[in-house]
Amino acid sequence: MLGRAWRVAATGFVFILFGVGALIISATLFPVLRLLAGSAARARLRIQRAMQLTFKGYVLLMRLLGLLSYEVHGVERLWVPGRLIIANHPTLIDVVFMVSLMPRVDCIVKEGLFRHPFLRWPVIWASYIPNSTGEALVRDCAATLKRGNSLLVFPEGTRSVPGQPLRMQRGAAHIALASGAPILPVTITVTEPTLTKGHPWYRVPRARPHFCIKVGEPWSPSVYNPAGETGALAARRLTEFFGEYYAAVEADNVRWGLLDR
Amino acid sequence: MTKTREQVFAHLRDTLVELFEIDADKISPDANLYTDLDIDSIDAVDLVLKLKEFTGQKIQPQQFKHVRTVNDVVDAVMAILANVK
Repeated sequence: MLGRAWRVAATGFVFILFGVGALIISATLFPVLRLLAGSAARARLRIQRAMQLTFKGYVLLMRLLGLLSYEVHGVERLWVPGRLIIANHPTLIDVVFMVSLMPRVDCIVKEGLFRHPFLRWPVIWASYIPNSTGEALVRDCAATLKRGNSLLVFPEGTRSVPGQPLRMQRGAAHIALASGAPILPVTITVTEPTLTKGHPWYRVPRARPHFCIKVGEPWSPSVYNPAGETGALAARRLTEFFGEYYAAVEADNVRWGLLDR
Repeated sequence: MTKTREQVFAHLRDTLVELFEIDADKISPDANLYTDLDIDSIDAVDLVLKLKEFTGQKIQPQQFKHVRTVNDVVDAVMAILANVK
């Protein structure tokens, strides 16, 4: 068992590497990939693939440094295109895990990134979607799903508050209803609260956290929205269903003792 | 036809119940649309569309930019109706 001091130092190192690394590859690797790709469509695929490999590298590094361990179930279901992938959001690094598992996926990123002098280019080239106002965001997200791409959304919109029921926003449901895409639910369970909302990174958990990422079975639109509804009430019902699903998974985790390893 | 504040409020309450199935008892003048009534930015678009029908007027988004409470919506609708004449 590696000591806590080691994990604090290693976490700090990974944080710095993440920040500096993002700037460096945005100014070097990504522009080269963009130039060599020629067309914007091919660039998008290559940049998304490069994002996956970069994030895979970070996950591997964190594991090698003894910061975490992880297991993934049903990963191949993430590789079917045209799905709306929803996941709960316990930690800061959920998106790193999720992107590391998918060679191709569209993501929603902070609008501010699109004004960053370096980081704007990779997110533009990857055709990631800015988290603009509700209506425009739903429209952009539904459009990419209709073109047959997969999209990753955290329906909570931000990290969960530890110890409280998940608070889902309704944007993900609106996107599902507007696109008619199959929904693929992913559950991220962590044995130790780590990198949670409002906790500084240097307050590392007492033991090394274990991440369990479970990809569920897809929900077809004929099941989650048989009447083909859209609008405020349909979005409310689907959002409630998301909440019930994650609450049920959580209850199972407690029942089967998945949380105490 | 002029409308009183009470009529506008009653119409707004009915609209909120119909559109979003919000509990009518929760809809007080001071209720915050976002925190108390759980109306998000996508809902707000639907609400403004309905109010457009009600007033029969074009509504500019900035007229609702500073709206936070039910009372603010009533004020905004009253202002739009006052401009008609």
